[in-house]
Amino acid sequence: MTESTATVLKHAAIGGSSDRRLPSSFRDPGGFLFVRDGILYRQVNRTYQRHYDLLQDSGLYKELVSRGLLIPHEEVLLDSDSQVAYKTLKPEVVPFVSYPYEWSFSQLQDTALATLQVQKLALRFGMSLKDASAYNVQFRSGRPVLIDTLSFERYAEGAPWVAYRQFCQHFLGPLALMSCVDARLGQLLRIHVDGVPIDLASRLLSWRKYFSFSQFIHLHLHALAQRRFSAKARPTGFRRLSRAGFLGLIDNLETAVRKLRWQPQQTHWAGYYSHNNYQAVAFQEKTRIVADWLDRMVPAVQSIWDFGANTGHFSRLASQRGIFTVSIDADPWCVEMNYQQCCRQGETQLLPLLLDLSNPSAAKGWQNQERMSVLDRGPADLAFALAMVHHLAISNNLPLRKIAEFFSRCCKRLVIEFVPKTDLQVQKMLDTREDIFGDYTQQAFEHEFGQVFSLRERASIVDSGRTLYLMEKVT
Amino acid sequence: MKQRLAHAAVLITILAVCLCLFPTKAYAYLDPGAGSSILQLLIASLLGALYAAKLHWTRIKSFLAKCRGTSVPTRKKSRL
Repeated sequence: MTESTATVLKHAAIGGSSDRRLPSSFRDPGGFLFVRDGILYRQVNRTYQRHYDLLQDSGLYKELVSRGLLIPHEEVLLDSDSQVAYKTLKPEVVPFVSYPYEWSFSQLQDTALATLQVQKLALRFGMSLKDASAYNVQFRSGRPVLIDTLSFERYAEGAPWVAYRQFCQHFLGPLALMSCVDARLGQLLRIHVDGVPIDLASRLLSWRKYFSFSQFIHLHLHALAQRRFSAKARPTGFRRLSRAGFLGLIDNLETAVRKLRWQPQQTHWAGYYSHNNYQAVAFQEKTRIVADWLDRMVPAVQSIWDFGANTGHFSRLASQRGIFTVSIDADPWCVEMNYQQCCRQGETQLLPLLLDLSNPSAAKGWQNQERMSVLDRGPADLAFALAMVHHLAISNNLPLRKIAEFFSRCCKRLVIEFVPKTDLQVQKMLDTREDIFGDYTQQAFEHEFGQVFSLRERASIVDSGRTLYLMEKVT
Repeated sequence: MKQRLAHAAVLITILAVCLCLFPTKAYAYLDPGAGSSILQLLIASLLGALYAAKLHWTRIKSFLAKCRGTSVPTRKKSRL
């Protein structure tokens, strides 16, 4: 377990006793997650015993783990209430917990396909997913993996898929909206904790304009059925869902998800490296300095958050040195390109994420404790803030003191670039507005960051007027 | 596009009629997933048939080709 993972667990767990239950783990009566002595465990309750035994005895667990679709665990012996607890599991911990509203289109699509693949395999082994929450899937070694071992139940012949509605809300609806209408509609997942309501997805997706058989069935007709039967029980003696019908449903959902494509326009940020202020020499120099500093820090640094990562050039300097790197950008297309490159190259140490630093993910859900804020998931051993400060200070009117305070809360070390007012990028920003940023000077920058960080290294980037700093948080 | 809309109209009519066939008086309040469950039951036969056709598509094509006296190249099996 990395230090940053331990920190996440520390923030995520609640309770005063030595066992601290994770605040996001309370809905499923089959068990829950808890932390003891900094280690994450999952309790399997006796009520879930027959399902858990079937998961193991049928060979489904082994099959899913061997395919990298389910998080592996080991059964451990801990003193627990034997009246309630059946088993205690020690699952492998993912290096960083991310949420669907922080994923690009392809990331959400891949998690949807992984969920359906798990369901198809589960059916082969006589089981079925009892939920299909996007929050149950995380990225491990670059690929989506189901982290909820208790998501399976014995398949009851004839019963409909209980997770069908949730799958449409968490995956199909948001993906269809991102693909057909606008990729930014994926952010609806921030507002709707249990996925985009089907009637809302149906309303935003004109079926005449974006007609697709699968979307028509699973979204438009689904919304109609929900309206029609919202306050009605299933009549007794109702038809059963045959196994063939069940398989047909899953297959059709898979086809629907697989067919969706996102063909975005080239954004300003996606072409940033090719038409920015950098001279090739300056860019190479910056790359060399960052790589040199990384080489000197590698043993001590295990996790990096790269803010304003664009398509991940500097993130890869870290990930290629075996450091787990979260590559953060606010532009959906940059994150999409970054993720596609990860997939093409089979990168395992890089996680691209969609985050706006001026409005980072907040704590959400019940009691604001179900989903962690970005700061709850830190601090990282190191953060990159390359070519970021001028965007925060000038585009977002953020005082340098507040910027320094933010970084001091999310990392232990910081590689940051100061971009002076003479820089072409800053000049462009000031072209269209009054310069009210008298305090935006290198001296003020060093003073404000010096309040919370101590300077370790400083290097000027030739031909650019920019300066790189390596800082360490003052303890 | 016109053909697609025509297909859609037929489909809507059939499925809307199916939805309207269910009585409304005999039910009590249930969870909001009731509509989702009922929809699955309604569409199961159609999707099951499509899935079966997809699985046996090679055989169907071979059969049709045999009827027409031509041969069809074999296709790779689905991964799952």
